[in-house]
Amino acid sequence: MQLKAQSKWGWLIASYLFLAGLGGGAYVTGVVADFVGGDWAALAKIGVALGFPCVLVGSVFLIADLGTPANFWRAFMRPGTSWVARGTIIISIFMVIGFLHIALWLWPFGVLEEGSGVRHVIGVVGAVFAFGTMIYTGLLLGANRPIAFWSTALVPVLFLVSALSTGTMAVILISALGGEGHSGPVSTLARVDIVLLVLEAIVIVMYLQATHRVPESRAAARLVLSGSVAPLFWLGVAAFGLAVPLVLELLSAYALDGSGAAVVAALAAVSGLAGGWCLRQVVLSGGVQAPLRAGRFEFALPNV
Amino acid sequence: MPRYGFVIDLKRCYGCYSCQVTCKAANHTPKGIDWARCVPAETGTYPTALRQMLPLVCQQCREPACKEVCPTGATSQDENGIVLVDKNLCMGCKACIMACPYGARQTAEKWQTYFPDADGGLDPYEAYAKKEWEKTHGYGMATKCDYCKDRVSEGRLPACVESCPAKARHFGDLDDPESEISILIRREYGFQLNPEFGTDPACFYLPPR
Repeated sequence: MQLKAQSKWGWLIASYLFLAGLGGGAYVTGVVADFVGGDWAALAKIGVALGFPCVLVGSVFLIADLGTPANFWRAFMRPGTSWVARGTIIISIFMVIGFLHIALWLWPFGVLEEGSGVRHVIGVVGAVFAFGTMIYTGLLLGANRPIAFWSTALVPVLFLVSALSTGTMAVILISALGGEGHSGPVSTLARVDIVLLVLEAIVIVMYLQATHRVPESRAAARLVLSGSVAPLFWLGVAAFGLAVPLVLELLSAYALDGSGAAVVAALAAVSGLAGGWCLRQVVLSGGVQAPLRAGRFEFALPNV
Repeated sequence: MPRYGFVIDLKRCYGCYSCQVTCKAANHTPKGIDWARCVPAETGTYPTALRQMLPLVCQQCREPACKEVCPTGATSQDENGIVLVDKNLCMGCKACIMACPYGARQTAEKWQTYFPDADGGLDPYEAYAKKEWEKTHGYGMATKCDYCKDRVSEGRLPACVESCPAKARHFGDLDDPESEISILIRREYGFQLNPEFGTDPACFYLPPR
């Protein structure tokens, strides 16, 4: 019996998962940087500025994946029903707050520049919904009980850690491109991301370790570790997503300084961001559905 | 109100695919959409290998996983326990396709012809099927088996039950303890597929040999 992975949620959904995580993570990074203040001000602005546009572009991918995109507004009508509906509300509120935060602070109005109180309140409320945006997608996948590779408590954790890490790296990348790459805060941010990357590696190991009890998750693990998804996993996630950014950020934060550090940090971020997308695609491609059982027979569902 | 259910006798099914083809003819489903279908499996090794067919229809669960994840309220259950999709409410997010353990839900992207002629046109039968499909369903939204609701309301049997030459399929009322299917389930050890998903299907199977 050859169990096959689902093919209905593909790169469009992977791109949405990646961009929603990235936007939420960058926004939270920006809000935290704003609380620190001082020479972190530039990073705070970059982080907050990334939140809304990334999630907005992600939502476009999400709508493009619908069978009848013109009906997308119906997802708002029954917020209590499911994680797709609840998530729609969560990302919408996040986008509204993220948009207001940008509009009132950065461009076109600068009314929040004076005095940090109101700005911090908006930031904290926005950060709550940013966390919701990063986590709910994992819960959404987890609601599919026949797909054991998704139906685990570690998917939301994995998505959260990866979202925070890619968000941090996006902020590092933009500040490096803006010539801020060798400032003290950027180097500190790279050190934070080192911790996040190590954490992400541990979560990935735990995630794969915890899912090999039933035929469908054995099939998923085989697919990801040695099957057709293996190149994407080992090259995309393990190498470009974890190893390369880890080594480059260690170099950038501890061994180099000046513009060399900035270039290396930017390279680390580009590699890590590509890895973040690959991680979402790997999780989707590992979605093997449970076989149906009758007596001694196990039936693999065709074209799921 | 009756709760409609199926009993499919795995001992009798010999995998002729009549149910699959009849369903297409009765419901005008496009290429790639099979509300009723037959899935083969093998077990054992030579010389004691066995092959078994599993005929599938929508299981019309009492606790449908598809309804649980539907974000728009497009999925509902009628008074006979049939799970229905409102084509005007569905936005095609495919969450139900992922959640259904039985692969009952499918979406058509566009009409594809089985029998292309020289200039790519449809023959009259396919043109009729396409027109009917676009009237009752369409493209992009989730579609599924409804136990031939319209035929049943006219007092007829679902198309796949009527056409089964092995007499492996039985249709009736699960709530009536004296109905043919209730008696078969009691006497011949009827079981539901993958009860671990907690869906409580209305489709029962009688064990294979």
